Amino acid sequence: MTLIKIRKVISGILLILFVLLFLGTEKLSVALSGILLPFQLAPALAHTITQPESIFIAGVIFIVVMTLIFGRVYCSFLCPLGTLQDLLIAGSRRVNRQAKHSFSQPLNGLRYTLLALTVLSLFIGSLSLVNLLDPYSVTGRIFTTFFQPLLIQTYNLVIFVLKFFNIFLYPKQATFIPLSILTVMAVITLLIVYLALKHGRLYCNAICPVGTLLGLISRLSIYQFTLNQKACSECVRCENVCKAKCIDPQNASIDMSRCVVCFDCLDACSQATISYQRRKGRPHDSWSPSRRGFVIGSIAAVAGLVTFSSNIRTFPGTRFALAHAPVTPPGSVAIQRYTKACTACSLCVSVCPTQVLTPALMDFGLSGLMQPKMNYEKSYCDYECNICSKVCPTGAITPLALDEKKLTQIGEAKLLEDICVVYVDHNNCGACGEVCPTHAIRFTNKKNILYPEIDQQYCIGCGACQLACPTSPRSIVVHTNPIHKRAEKYVSPETTVEQKKPPDQDFPF
Amino acid sequence: MADAKKFNRRELISKGLSLGLVAGGAVILGKPDFLLAKEKPAGIPDLVAVKNGEPDAMFKKAIELMGGMNQFVKKGQTVVVKPNIGFPRVPEVGATTNPLLIKTIIESCYAAGAKRVYVFDNVVTTTSSNARNCYKLSGIEDAAKTARGIVVPIDDFSFRRVKIPGGKTLKTADVPGLVLDCDVFINAPVLKHHSSAHLSIAMKNLMGIVKNRMEYHLTGLDQCIADFCLYRKPDLNVVDAYRVLMSRGPSGPVDPKSANVQLKKTLLISKDIVAIDAAAARIFGKEPEDIGYIKIAHAQKTGNMILKELKIVTYAM
Repeated sequence: MTLIKIRKVISGILLILFVLLFLGTEKLSVALSGILLPFQLAPALAHTITQPESIFIAGVIFIVVMTLIFGRVYCSFLCPLGTLQDLLIAGSRRVNRQAKHSFSQPLNGLRYTLLALTVLSLFIGSLSLVNLLDPYSVTGRIFTTFFQPLLIQTYNLVIFVLKFFNIFLYPKQATFIPLSILTVMAVITLLIVYLALKHGRLYCNAICPVGTLLGLISRLSIYQFTLNQKACSECVRCENVCKAKCIDPQNASIDMSRCVVCFDCLDACSQATISYQRRKGRPHDSWSPSRRGFVIGSIAAVAGLVTFSSNIRTFPGTRFALAHAPVTPPGSVAIQRYTKACTACSLCVSVCPTQVLTPALMDFGLSGLMQPKMNYEKSYCDYECNICSKVCPTGAITPLALDEKKLTQIGEAKLLEDICVVYVDHNNCGACGEVCPTHAIRFTNKKNILYPEIDQQYCIGCGACQLACPTSPRSIVVHTNPIHKRAEKYVSPETTVEQKKPPDQDFPF
Repeated sequence: MADAKKFNRRELISKGLSLGLVAGGAVILGKPDFLLAKEKPAGIPDLVAVKNGEPDAMFKKAIELMGGMNQFVKKGQTVVVKPNIGFPRVPEVGATTNPLLIKTIIESCYAAGAKRVYVFDNVVTTTSSNARNCYKLSGIEDAAKTARGIVVPIDDFSFRRVKIPGGKTLKTADVPGLVLDCDVFINAPVLKHHSSAHLSIAMKNLMGIVKNRMEYHLTGLDQCIADFCLYRKPDLNVVDAYRVLMSRGPSGPVDPKSANVQLKKTLLISKDIVAIDAAAARIFGKEPEDIGYIKIAHAQKTGNMILKELKIVTYAM
């Protein structure tokens, strides 16, 4: 088996698993997230920083070590966005056999600036650039934004048709994706598709911060591609197949910082002048002003920020956004903590059975773009569910046992008596109380009209009452808890009395 | 020994009294009833109440006392049975209709020659979400399927808008085509406590077929519940009062151990949806006139809540 085939098989299997992770059943998603996601750099790093756990630390170390040994194998084997781009590139080659890649100079200014900005923004408490650019998170959002709704609507259409044959199946509800997110994701997706079709792996080599970071490491990798200039006939076949555009046959150089280790060139070279082997001696260091600038700049920035990082988390808009912050899912512990860990991969959005989690473009200000919020105008948080905390790969939503979740107060419901129909019209309504899972909403009987009241100590902020409330605007609204609290457990004063008495024969009429 | 004797005496007295009442009622009411309602065969009661049996046995007895299922279901007809499956709860909580009862009703429909029997509810989606959970947990899906019932999950395309003739508050309702097109509509609710309507019985169960139920909450629950019955009254109502949820209704707690359930082992059947609600309210321990929608429906002449005016047959197993 050639190295290319090995790459294709491994990356193909992993891509299928990623599809199942986002579009499969709940159980499958939980199982796959534990296997796949510790080996995605951005979430594993986020998890290691916010919530150090051995498997995620191991994942980060594994990726770094693999890159140090083999170069950027991550980009061709593990990265789902890489594999998706490879599929596009292969497709375009099949359509247009004349299409060839050719060597191009690295866009060092762009890639190192983007990486520096990403790192810098991390240190002042914003994940926005990671949210926008991280390849795993982008892939996740592409699946959740486009493929999942498509799949579900197709499924529902089949169900609709089957009804005419007297076969009745349960329809599925599609995830709610706001227009803002759809637009942003359409732009990002089109950009990636365009770059892949026109310029090969340019996204990975000019925009992707993970690619650039691994590129810095892969310069030093033990195994490197080398071009034997003496044997080379300059047929440029290798250059033509190199989607990273990093082979320069004229100068017999291969830029390992951009090479994604796809092995295509090995296959293309008829004379075996390109080899993949242990590098001899020191890596030849080509001086790059922007790289040097990046390295020095980031060291200075890190040093400076570590010294002064006490309170620089006031981005334009962030303070306002946090004053009106949305509710965050149970397990996220506190809004500040949540926005500092979530890479916005939308895995929780895609697994949420009630679709209450909605990616929110700017609701958390600039501290995090597209991070999911609890969208109580569209749905509610199911009392019997904690699946988002089981799949989250970044530690933004920490694992929360179901019994704990049932007592975790993520917000508090407030009743607006000036617009509630029962208080205004003196008519029975009670929609909120019917759906309250914790018995936080009780009713006081005055002249056979039942008036709702909230006992805050039992409220967990699940939003069922808000969704059920028939008035517009809603008369009962959940307000976020910036730091989650613990609710009391309701114990019913009446329980079943064992009926020992023999059955009577009386009817009350 | 003495206690048992005392009990027996009391039982004897009450039994005698109730028997006398029934007999008296039959004598007083039987004749005018017979003269007025010509299509109704003689001896068919307005309401049958059975107690102390299992759900299947009680239904068989009750329908027999009502003149048999053939009174309601004819050969080749399609039937819709509407239980209360509004919440994802196990049967022991008493928030959903007893699955054995639903199975028995379906079997009895098929025995009477029904072509198809559909079972559905439009579940309350804000509690553990979907129909799948509710249908499964309640045990009704499995029970209905063993009796060849067709279990239908309702989606947004299933509804058609109808006008409510004479509706005071509720003018239109979105009703599943299934209910609009069927020959026989059997309403099979469970009797339970309800936090905002006091009780949920037969009329309240019909709120579970409409799509625009939030309009009920917004414009007045009691009036809308009563108004909907002006559109179509079920051909038969079967009230399950086997396990009665006495508090924290309509959903009840998830854990049946903390549910306040009384084992009343009672079953009611009637064509009169107001009468059956009135009788069920009594069984719960409330007066019919204290329940807003019963009072309104009586005033709108949907049925009769004054139980002593009705021909009631009771049977204790």
